[in-house]
Parts: sequence; C-alpha cells; structure tokens
Amino acid sequence: MGKIIQVRDLVKWYGKRVLALNKVSFEVDEGDFFVIIGPSGCGKSTLMKILAGVLDYDSGEVYIAGKNMKGVPPHKRDLSLMFESYALFPHMSVFDNIAFGLRMMGKDKEYIKRKVSEALALVGMSGFENRSPLELSGGQRQRVALARALVVEPKVLLLDEPISHVDYQLQRKLMEDFKVIHKKTGNTFVLTTHVQDHALTLADHMIVMNTGVIEQYGTPEEVYCKPKTVFAARFVGDINLIPGEVASKDGDMYIVKTEIGEFKSASSGEGHIKPGTRLAYGIRPQYVMVNKSIKNANYVKGKFVRNYYFGKYVECIFNVDGKAELKASVPPEEAINLKLEKEYTLCWDSGNTVLLEKPSVIEGLNIEEVIYGK
Amino acid sequence: MVRHMRYILILPGLITYIFFLIVPLGIMTVMSFFKPVWPGYKVEFTVSNYISYLTSPQFKTMLINTLYTSIGTAFICLVIGFPFAYCYTFKVKSQRAKNYITMFLLAPFLIDWTIRSVAWLSILGEGGVLNSLLLSSGLISKPLKILFTPAALFIIWVQTNLLFMIFPINLALGRLDPEMIDAARVLKAPPHRVIYDIIFKASLPGVICGFIFVFVNTISDYVTPALWAGGMQTLGLSVSTYASQFLWPQASAAGIILLVVCIIVLYILLKIVDIKKLVYE
Repeated sequence: MGKIIQVRDLVKWYGKRVLALNKVSFEVDEGDFFVIIGPSGCGKSTLMKILAGVLDYDSGEVYIAGKNMKGVPPHKRDLSLMFESYALFPHMSVFDNIAFGLRMMGKDKEYIKRKVSEALALVGMSGFENRSPLELSGGQRQRVALARALVVEPKVLLLDEPISHVDYQLQRKLMEDFKVIHKKTGNTFVLTTHVQDHALTLADHMIVMNTGVIEQYGTPEEVYCKPKTVFAARFVGDINLIPGEVASKDGDMYIVKTEIGEFKSASSGEGHIKPGTRLAYGIRPQYVMVNKSIKNANYVKGKFVRNYYFGKYVECIFNVDGKAELKASVPPEEAINLKLEKEYTLCWDSGNTVLLEKPSVIEGLNIEEVIYGK
Repeated sequence: MVRHMRYILILPGLITYIFFLIVPLGIMTVMSFFKPVWPGYKVEFTVSNYISYLTSPQFKTMLINTLYTSIGTAFICLVIGFPFAYCYTFKVKSQRAKNYITMFLLAPFLIDWTIRSVAWLSILGEGGVLNSLLLSSGLISKPLKILFTPAALFIIWVQTNLLFMIFPINLALGRLDPEMIDAARVLKAPPHRVIYDIIFKASLPGVICGFIFVFVNTISDYVTPALWAGGMQTLGLSVSTYASQFLWPQASAAGIILLVVCIIVLYILLKIVDIKKLVYE
C-alpha cells in the first residue's frame, strides 16, 4: 500500500510568537482511516488546512499521492475538507451548498440531484433541501457541512471535528456511517477529534498531538495499551499516574519505588530502563480492583473518599496515606457495597501497568509537574 | 399602558418622519391635481398637469437622461467600489492602514460643496490638471472637452458617491466568514468562481444597498447636471424649473412622476435580493 499523505518537518508560525506546528512528520497509508486527536489549540485544524491547501506553511514538505504540494492551489488537489466552523454559504440553500462542489466539477444536473439527495439522506437531513443554512441549528449545520464534503467523493477526505456538535445518538450513527462509507469508497479519511472514544473507535491509525508536536503514532490499541508519554497516556483514556523511580529489575519485572510503596511492572520487552530512572508508574482505572486478590498483584491500602457515577461503572477515588489518589472503575453492583471513609485494599496485575519515562515529547518538562499539573 | 411604553422610543423619529416627509408629500400630491394659474394655483381638480408633462416632447429625453446618468453612475461606482471594498476587507491587514484609507475616502466630504464645485474647473477644464497631464504624457494632442459634457457629470458624481457604494459593500464583506472562501476553494472552485459565486453573491445585499444609495443620491441631484453637463435636461431639473417659475401644480406633478420612476427602479433592485436579508442579516 502506498503512502497517500507524507508530511515532513512541517513548521507553521502564526505571526512571530505562535508556533502552531513544530516539525511535524507523519505518513498516512492509502485507504487508511487516520485520526488526529489532541486538545483544542494543539494544531489539528492548522494541519488540516495546510493539507487542504488553504493555509501556507513556513517550512517542511507536504506530499499528496507522491506529489509535492507546495504552491498547488486547493482546487487542483483531489481532496475535500469539512471545516470545524462548517463554513456554509449563507446565501445558498442547503441543496446549493451541497451541490456546489459537484457543479464546480462540471457534473450534469441529474447526477447532482441524485448525489445531493443521497448525501442528505446519509446525514439524516432529507427534506431540508430548500432551507437556508441560517435557519438550521448547530448540529444540523454540521451535518450539512459533512454532506457537502462527502458528496464530492475525493481521494482524501479531511474531516475537522465532524461530529463534535451533534447529539450522542447521531454521533454513534455517523461513526458507523463513516466506517461504512470509508470501506465502500476505499478512500482515505483523515479525521480530527478531541474525543478519545471517537479516535479509538474509528481509527486504523492515529496520532496524538500536543501543542504543535506529535506525541505518538500508532494503532488505537498501541496508543491505548502502550502509551509512550504521560501526555498520550492521559489524553487517550483515563489513567492513574504515580511518580517514582526504578529500584531494580527482577527477571521481567521492574520494581518501582514510589511515595506510596514499591510496585511491580512487567517489562514490555522494548528497551531497557536503568535503575534510578525517574518515571511515572501508570495503571488504568479499570484494572484497579477493590477487595480482591489475584496473581502477580500489587497491593496498597486506600481510603474511599468519593465517587462519580457513570451508569455502566462507578469511578471510586481512594486516598492512599494522604499522599496520592487512585481511581478505580468499579461495577455499580459492587460499588454499592463500598462505604465512604472506609479503608479498602486495592490491587492490580503487574502486566496491566505502564512505565512512562517521558512526560511529553516536548523537552525539558518535569515529570512530577506534568502529573500534578503545576 | 406599560405594554405600549416600548413604542415611545420610535416616537421622535416617527414625528419627524410625519411632519417633514409624509405631510409635505401629501401637500405635493394634492397640489399636483390643482389647476395651475400663474403665479400659483386654483383649487380645482384636474389631471392635465400629468398629461401635459408625460406627453410633452421633452419627457422622453429627460427620462432617458435621468435614468442613464443615475444608473450609469451607480454602475461605475460598483465597478470601482467593489474591488476597492474587497481589497480593503480582505487584503489590507493593518488597522492603521484601514483608518488612513477611511480618512482619505471621507476627505471630500469635509470640503464645502461650492468650493468642491469650483475646484472641478481647475481639474477638468481645458487648461486643467487632467488635460495638462494627458497632454504632457502624449496621450492626446489637443485638450479634451470634458467640462459641460456628460463625461464631467459622471466623473463628478462618481467622485462624490463612491463612498456610498464602498461602505455598504464593506459592511457586507466584513460579515462574511473568511473560511467560506477557503471552503469554496477546497470544493474545486477556481478563483473567478470564488469571487463571483461566493464573495459577490454573498455580499449582494450590500451591493444593492450601495446601488440604491448612489442611485437615489444622483437622481435627486439636479444642480450638478445643470451646472457641469452643459444644461442636460433631467426630470429633477424640470421640477426645479417649474418651481422657480412658481408653477406649483406642474412642479408637484413632475415631482410625483420623478418619485414614481425612483420607486420603480428601487422595486426592481429589491426584487434581485431578498429584502429580508437586507434587514435581518
């Protein structure tokens, strides 16, 4: 499979002070569903606009289908972009908005009519053809913008936060539709989001972005199970992080000394961490068990201080010696038996833990400061 | 009582409007149906003022002169003003530069009308600035006659009305989402389609608004054509001519006809754009 998008050392400054992209490099396979996840202001939209050709960059290279894109205007690129701001044409009806791209491509009337009604049906907006975008709600506008980007069937479809403003039910439906359309057309999709569920569900491959840099590249499983930095671990999924120091290595097990005790972590087999290294010991809340005993376990005692109800699970917070707080996702039927202010034994499997040496790919950050958020 | 209090805010405007527009217009309408008796009128219903005006041999010439100069000026202002407003909105980035440009546009309005008129003599006259420039550049061999021709009228009207075209277009363009332009480009629109389909059409309410301003301004100006266009006969000038001879009923009838012509043109212009968009957007 070829690389449809290649980005090398891309740098973008806004004015002289804001560095939006700091030497960003990545590649997207042809036909991939590629997701860029990151907090707002991390440079996702900037990256999308550069790929679409509506924004210039300062240095680096962008190749699409093997062709250097420097100076190639947007209308000569085989891609389309759905803008985060929707950017609908207010002086045109919904139909004309969606038909615009097809008209510019010189398609005939019948074809345009058929394609537009298909696109509207897909986003659940049939019957809105003659409405003005000004009369639509935010979610409806988002769906029209989505239909407008989809209808031209480009080789590369760029979707900038395409479903963040629609309700949960429709998010689920659209996510499934994306998968189906992606499979059916075989085109490359690049989608940005700040919602981890969307990224993990949709992506074949993903990158995690943090203020102009890429924290990690990988499949959703790799990013979720083997995060490389504290930032990536935190942004994709919830995680308990305890700062510590590697004390020794016992066979395949690292022993990590922390403020609240010594814990074991199974080595992932990649690389070797020297004893004495400062790092973050991480365990995802769903692996932390309350009042259980298992093999290969790490134990610690914590006082149950508060909880958050999420329906399918309850997030229980335990305070360990007043030094650290650990979260555990507990099934509701078990959580009901736990009493606030009582002490419980927490345990987790050493195989489910991660050791994070770097707070971020950004240099010069202190791991404790990142964890405790100074 | 409280429910009606909110209407109090429109009262000053409404009173002004009634006393200085509706009432005089009513008087004028009534007057136009009176029998003319020099110097003045006799209270006796007649439509002869209208009939003689509309059937006079000069009417057609005056109507054509009036429409082509006013609409022509508005059109020239649009052709010059739209690119100007486009650059001003999208290309001029610094606020400082924008302030200077606005000052520059407003400058002519800080000069008295009489002085401005006299200045045209030294600019457009046969020994004026424009002719000297053209002569010395070798583009022409003998001075052009500009003053006292329709060309002078267009130059003067465009100069004084350009601002009224630029401002509403500016406002309309300023309201456009710049990302809309990017969206059109991504949807394969070549540059000329972006300008026409997106920028021009989306700012059409502003364009029509500017067109109306310039049109209304020029159609009601009878002094400039009389002074600088070699005594060009226009509908506006005929009103003034009748009035200066104390032929009140004829002047009123001519005035009403001018008003009707104006309303017809405005109606056509507003048909082009949805009037709701002008008001609510």
